[in-house]
Amino acid sequence: MNGDVIQLVVQVDDLIPRGTRMNVFESIYWVFIALGTLVGIIVIGYMTYSAYRYRSTGDHAADGDDDRPYLGELPTGGGKGRKLFLSFALSAVVVISLIVWTYGTLLYVESPVSAQEADEELEIQVVGQQFAWEFIYPNGESSFELHVPADQRVRLVVTSDDVFHNFGIPALRAKTDAIPGQTTETWFIAEQPGEYQAHCYELCGAGHSGMNAKVVVMEPSAYEEWYASMGENASGNGSGDASGENATATPTAGNGTNASGTASTNASENTS
Amino acid sequence: MSDDTTPRETDGGHATADLPATGDHVHESSHEHGLPPMESIRRWFVTTNHKDVGILYVVTALFFLVFGGVLALLIRVQLLEPGGTILTDAAYNQAVSSHGLLMVFWFLSPFAFGFANYVVPLQIGAKDLAFPRLNALSYWLYLFSGVLFGISFFQGGTFSGGWTMYAPLNVPIYMPNIGATTAILALLMFTASVTVGSVNFLTTIHRMRAPGLTLRRMPLFTWTILLTVWMMLFAFAALLAALIILSSDRILGTVYFAATDAGGSVLWAHLFWFFGHPEVYIVFFPALGAMAEIFQTFTGRRIVGRKWFIAAMVLVALQSFLVWMHHMFLTSINLPVKTLFMATTIGISLPFDLMVFALIYTTIKGRIRFKTPFLFAFGALALFILGGITGVFLGAVVLDFEFRGTYWVVAHFHYVMVGGVTGLVGAIYYWYPKMTGRMYDEFLGKVHFGMYFVGFNLVYFPMFLAWETPRRVFDYPAVFQPWHQLATAGAFLLGASFLVMFYNFYVSLVSGEEAAGDPWRYVTTAEWAVPSPPPLENYPGRPSYDGGSLQFLEDMGPRPSGIAAADGSGETRSDGGVAAVDGALTGESHEESHASIWPFGISVAGFLVLLGLSGLPSGATLYVTLTVAGFGLGLYTLVGMARESQTFHGPSGPFGESWPFARVENTKLGMWFFLASDVVLFGAFIGAYVFIRVAFGWSAWEIVPHDPIPGLMNTYILLTSSFAVVLAMVAAQKGSRNGLVVSLLVTLLLGVGFLGNKGIEWYELYHEGQWLSTSVETSTYFLTTGLHAAHVIVGLVIVCYMLVRAWGGAYLDDDRPVEYFGLYWHFVDIVWLFLFPLFYIL
Amino acid sequence: MNTRLYTVIYGVLFVFATLQVAVEFAGLDYWTAFGVIMALSAVKALLVAAYFQHLRYEPRAITYVVTIGLVAALALTLAAAYSITGT
Repeated sequence: MNGDVIQLVVQVDDLIPRGTRMNVFESIYWVFIALGTLVGIIVIGYMTYSAYRYRSTGDHAADGDDDRPYLGELPTGGGKGRKLFLSFALSAVVVISLIVWTYGTLLYVESPVSAQEADEELEIQVVGQQFAWEFIYPNGESSFELHVPADQRVRLVVTSDDVFHNFGIPALRAKTDAIPGQTTETWFIAEQPGEYQAHCYELCGAGHSGMNAKVVVMEPSAYEEWYASMGENASGNGSGDASGENATATPTAGNGTNASGTASTNASENTS
Repeated sequence: MSDDTTPRETDGGHATADLPATGDHVHESSHEHGLPPMESIRRWFVTTNHKDVGILYVVTALFFLVFGGVLALLIRVQLLEPGGTILTDAAYNQAVSSHGLLMVFWFLSPFAFGFANYVVPLQIGAKDLAFPRLNALSYWLYLFSGVLFGISFFQGGTFSGGWTMYAPLNVPIYMPNIGATTAILALLMFTASVTVGSVNFLTTIHRMRAPGLTLRRMPLFTWTILLTVWMMLFAFAALLAALIILSSDRILGTVYFAATDAGGSVLWAHLFWFFGHPEVYIVFFPALGAMAEIFQTFTGRRIVGRKWFIAAMVLVALQSFLVWMHHMFLTSINLPVKTLFMATTIGISLPFDLMVFALIYTTIKGRIRFKTPFLFAFGALALFILGGITGVFLGAVVLDFEFRGTYWVVAHFHYVMVGGVTGLVGAIYYWYPKMTGRMYDEFLGKVHFGMYFVGFNLVYFPMFLAWETPRRVFDYPAVFQPWHQLATAGAFLLGASFLVMFYNFYVSLVSGEEAAGDPWRYVTTAEWAVPSPPPLENYPGRPSYDGGSLQFLEDMGPRPSGIAAADGSGETRSDGGVAAVDGALTGESHEESHASIWPFGISVAGFLVLLGLSGLPSGATLYVTLTVAGFGLGLYTLVGMARESQTFHGPSGPFGESWPFARVENTKLGMWFFLASDVVLFGAFIGAYVFIRVAFGWSAWEIVPHDPIPGLMNTYILLTSSFAVVLAMVAAQKGSRNGLVVSLLVTLLLGVGFLGNKGIEWYELYHEGQWLSTSVETSTYFLTTGLHAAHVIVGLVIVCYMLVRAWGGAYLDDDRPVEYFGLYWHFVDIVWLFLFPLFYIL
Repeated sequence: MNTRLYTVIYGVLFVFATLQVAVEFAGLDYWTAFGVIMALSAVKALLVAAYFQHLRYEPRAITYVVTIGLVAALALTLAAAYSITGT
């Protein structure tokens, strides 16, 4: 469904995977897995075979004792190395073409749409804090769950209030660092409505293992409804069950997001 | 295997049996120059002999392997089920962090350097390292840094921010426990050990090779160590800068990494990974070298494409400093930089392809004996191939975006790094007979390999399958549980395999078969041409390759004897070589010293200082006392070691091959290597300043000193003091004691003047409310110029010492100490020439 | 290596240091002044290294060792500073 959008922007090269982050990842990942497995089996198979084939039989006379290394010789190389360079060239071609191939996708992933189309995106700010994620919507309201409409490009502008975090939604293949004082961006398009999980992928303190957030992908109409009702909720949390889901997170966020506030909470946890 | 016994029958092993290990000791003790016998505990505290230090390194590193391994098992137990509860959150983070730090720093490199210590001098034909006491110092600094790390667990918990120590989690507001500071200081001490060690190895390998052993002819293991220490020299200097800054943030209250608006947390990532990527090769290269040696020996073949193998490694060593940002693809770095670093990353992976193929093709037409060392080296190669393939995945930036922070990364680098460990385990079996004079039990060795290899793949391969587990997290989707349970089972198997090794080595040490000088056959390198274990001074004569292969020349005369003098067959070569041992051992009466207690003393002092510093912000009397006592002891032991220099004799020339430093004396060259690392230290400090200032907005930055004039005065003072040191050297050359004393005195006074002037400036700033933690501007200003001032203070301490000795008439017949001190002092001057405009004018 | 040469170099260093501050007060455009001042520092550093540390008279390899360190530090500084996205 994005095909026509993209065609306008980037010269179409059928080889370069585009579409949602999931499409991009899947197509590249499986090519790499297939090739990697193949190369691994060939190389390790070959080395095992040749090690077995040239195993010492103990019968030295049969092997011939020609030109074996001897103690005290000045080291020199054995063999002519033609085979070495052939294999090297082959492997270099495989690796370089793989990377060049994915580079096209990198360019696409880095800027999937042109400036004028950026208006159509939903931009949500993500703020990492020990140990919760806060999502700030264009209307200025915030939530501790990420609600997004299906089939729309969502741009996340990610930062952190305290330490270095990394925000990732594995199922949607969106991930970027959350760095205090800096912003990074990532985007995704969710095709299937449903619930997903976001995690923190950078060790950020005692609560790191539990620093998750619920990601709710909604039908566009349901999303509109939810979005419109955001401001009505006095606590600032989008839906009622969010506070229950993020029991650890809410208190931290409740008393403001300045670094020293969260830090002192953490400090007491660390020393205990 | 039928092969097991053949070497002893055919290659002259019986000749070395004439000099059994115990016989050596009796023989040696008569001329060990104050070195107590092996059985004496005291020997191990005072020894400076490279073989002793090598053994100390190996044993200590194995201790840290157990330490880090137990932590790994704790992690694996926690991961048996999602959200495990064996460890608390905080404890789990500590276990993860210290497992990484211990394995990477306190196990891997030191383990490799145990072999480097033992084998490299033997391979290149040196009697010892260039600076034996500094070698002992490296070891003791290493040991005590490890002890310090251990103590950190008991100071409110150790560091818990991962081995990458990302900012700003690493600063006190987020990690206030003293133990975290101690762990960082322990790493700092370890860095000092590495720097001293790399200077030593660089000087040794470059300057002290046997005649005919040109760099191109050097054995591959020595080549890998040479490249490793080159990388270490520069990479660890960058780490040192990062750690000094971090320690200062934690102890003095500077705000480098807390200043997140000016990019403090990205600054850490740059500094850390600028070190961290070369570090990957630093830990892997020695394993590669050992694998190359083992492959050649047990295939009975010379390595294919040796020249290209070396060229590939040189390329990797150089390029390793240009790939660091591939660890930061998801930070705020821009697209052109991402592209550039993607390209350099692919570039660095290709030379490894060549190395891997070279090793594989070496097996062709070989006569391969599957003994334990070969099994491990061969297994290491297979594991490294898997690690390499999965690394290409990470090189594709689009995939890296998704793999970031997951078990894919964990699995990949364990395949590479523990793949390296596998090679080094091969190395310990390979050199065990050389180091102990006993054979290990081959059957148990193979059992070890079997358990190890299965265990290894059982731990790490499931991690690829469960790769979507976030890293350093103990809560994961339940579907991955079987994989994690498999991994835990594998971890215990892997751990248990080492028990077999320890048992094997212990039993073999007592009752193993005695090992011949060359227990393997088809070895080529010189360590096998001497008995196992080698005598204290290594060789029966002066080793030389001038005749085209290894010969031992009698010390006084050029008459060749030994290996190559015998007729062509492999058997009698080593036979003859060993025959020369008998004659030469008695003939040797060099005055090389092998014992000094000062390296131990200095390390104790360093340990006390750092332990004291860790808790200094708390102001507790204990910590203050420790710091003061440490500094006192440090001064005492340093002076003790300096005074001992007049009676302690390291290996002296003339050496054979010294390209490209033939005309530079060892100590001078060592000083230059040290200064080169100091260039990187200050370079990283200035780089940090520039980075922060650019991130902050270059022009919006406020220069801390109001007025450049005091800075200009200090420039004049320092330039004049440099000139005074030059005059001191000239006076010493002319034999003028008065000139020397006066010049040194002038240097001292100018140095004190410099510090005084700076003190006044700082005092005034302090009273205006400008201090270390005021802003990122003041932090960079005070810390960078403070580091420079610390260099000045160190210089002045040396000047004081030299002044006392010059008063007593020293240096007049040998002005080199004055010259070498001058190199340091002028360097400090040069640094100021850049700090002055950067911090006072621009 | 005579004392006179050392004295002349010392004199030059002294003058250059003074010049640096003079440039600062000369009211040049900031980046021009920056260039001139850093260039003067570089020249001073080269003089000290070449003569006081007598690198001129040592095997060139030593100069290369130090240069490698310098290049590494510069690579870190420039690449890190360049990687910063617009603030």
